[in-house]
Amino acid sequence: MMRLRTVSRLGLLTAAVVAGFVTSLALGSSLIPPGRVLAALFGEGARMDEVIVWTLRLPRVLLAILAGAALALAGALLQRVTRNPMAAPSILGITDGAALGVVSFLWVFSDEANRLTVSIHWQPLAAAIGAFGFALIAGGLTLADPRGRGPLRLILYGIALAALAKAAVTLVMIIGPVYRAGQALTWLTGTIGAAHWGDVAVVAAGLAVAAPVLAWLNLPLRQLALDPQTAAATGLPVGRTQIVLLAISVALTALAVSQVGAVGFVGLIAPHAARLVIGAFAPGYLVATALIGSLLVLGADTLARLIAAPLELPAGAITALIGAPLFLTLLIRRQGTHG
Amino acid sequence: MTLSPARSSRTMALLLLSALLAAMVASLHVGLRTYDPDTIWRGLTGGIETDEIIVRSLRLPRTLIAITAGASLALSGLIMQAATRNPLAEPGLLGTNAGAAFAVTVGLSVFGYSGLLQVGGFAILGALVTTAVVFALTLRLGPNAGRATILLVGVTIAAMLASLTQILLLVDETALETLLFWLSGGFADRDLRLLWLGCGLLGLVLVGLVAIAGSIDALQLDDASARGIGVDVMRTRMLALGAAALLAAGAVAMAGPVMFLGLVAPHMAMRLTRRRPAFLTLAGLTMLSGALVAVLADILARLIVAPGEAPIGAVLAIVGVPVLIALLRKRGARAA
Repeated sequence: MMRLRTVSRLGLLTAAVVAGFVTSLALGSSLIPPGRVLAALFGEGARMDEVIVWTLRLPRVLLAILAGAALALAGALLQRVTRNPMAAPSILGITDGAALGVVSFLWVFSDEANRLTVSIHWQPLAAAIGAFGFALIAGGLTLADPRGRGPLRLILYGIALAALAKAAVTLVMIIGPVYRAGQALTWLTGTIGAAHWGDVAVVAAGLAVAAPVLAWLNLPLRQLALDPQTAAATGLPVGRTQIVLLAISVALTALAVSQVGAVGFVGLIAPHAARLVIGAFAPGYLVATALIGSLLVLGADTLARLIAAPLELPAGAITALIGAPLFLTLLIRRQGTHG
Repeated sequence: MTLSPARSSRTMALLLLSALLAAMVASLHVGLRTYDPDTIWRGLTGGIETDEIIVRSLRLPRTLIAITAGASLALSGLIMQAATRNPLAEPGLLGTNAGAAFAVTVGLSVFGYSGLLQVGGFAILGALVTTAVVFALTLRLGPNAGRATILLVGVTIAAMLASLTQILLLVDETALETLLFWLSGGFADRDLRLLWLGCGLLGLVLVGLVAIAGSIDALQLDDASARGIGVDVMRTRMLALGAAALLAAGAVAMAGPVMFLGLVAPHMAMRLTRRRPAFLTLAGLTMLSGALVAVLADILARLIVAPGEAPIGAVLAIVGVPVLIALLRKRGARAA
């Protein structure tokens, strides 16, 4: 049973996402008032408005919403599985691993004229390979650490690997055909840029597969928050559940990154914000996380379009500006309690 | 045959020096076009053919800048490590470089470009302020904070400053064109007058270091013992960190923010000596190692993606990350 408070707060978050959705559709190089946006959405607007909304703005706005939800969920799952409130795909090097997968894919499968020799639909798979590779290395290094498996160790290895992946992305971009500033920025810091309906479909499909699985795993997710022995005592196959959830988390990250680039810190901020808004054990925690993630990336992308119009800032730079101070606060508070 | 520590350090210094000289010569030879020794000699002695001018006005400056920036960053890392007794400290990882770069960017987009002194001044200001902020924050973490925690604070501050710099650059288009190249880090095509700024800061810090080297050596014990032999611990630490920030500022002004050199070089120097030598000896070895690594990385940067050129930061990350991971895995030291 959801309590009234939880329901009302989820409702508020949903309303905020809808409001953000309409606002973001309205704003841009030409302002379309919300009334005309809605008319265009339902096919009753002026021809010009419909073209702008449906082909130019809608895919981008939807992509921001979906990618934000995917990254936020990935972060919430990582934090549960590693029992580490500082875990997030971008901090553990998974985001940059996925970006490396994508640029390597573009490099390997391009011919002399910079045309792809295979279908672009393989790009998410390449992202997934990179993401899983770096997640495995970070996890392996932590498990094999001679100095114990403290939560900070995982974070440190992740940060080191993220630096390595970033360097490799830079090198591959110079060797390969992606050496065009606009595209380069996407893979370095994450830019939503010109989105196509195909991109939206990829992330939507990923979320559509993940959502029912996560709903089904609702109870195990809460058991995992206990310490491992207690969780095992409640009858949970701890190891197997962790692997399944990790796989979902990494796959969601890879899908989002393959479409919007290495947007960082969303997976860190959204779960913590959701904890504040409705509590970590409330039913609907994951829904709230996803909604906040959507709101965050949508807001960052809208700001990124507007601050320096007609130039576009990378949305990842804006999420980093919010995420970095939060990370510091968590770090300092953690030292305060566990000193 | 066993060598005394002093002799072994001297041997190592000679080895490093000869390696550095060899690397310098190689750096003049290798690149998009490889020049024969005759051309290089004529280039250095004032030839006027195109190739000779390229040697003198492109290859020689970048080699000299690599040496100075490498030595500065290496020494900066060593001083930070000694002052905080933290083997993971380094101006790149602790945010000093990012702070210097951010300040230079702010300075240029607010006041416009008014000369190299301005670049140097803002770099110094940014480096000092960021170092102070990072260490003030780590003091708030309490005395039991692990070394790794300090690293996390630094990395986060660096990430924040880097994205601020990025936003500022995109907003201010004129600054973007001037700075994008500099910010990507590298030793090629830099203004030679910055070399004198870097050399000056390096010389200044070296003179100061001689004065506090004894106190820094004493700091390698615990704070209480250092106080027991009459060392003002807090003052020494402040001076040392200030010196490290100055060195990093000089290097950033010359070569842009370059990570990992300050981590790699001191550990290379320590590996080369069997017993930890006195601080000044170690400083000398570290500077030689830093210069050597920088010149080698610069040569590598020209070769791996030829005909393009790799950013030096990417090359150093590929060398530096394994070093960082090895250090994190090392047993014995206090864990995070």
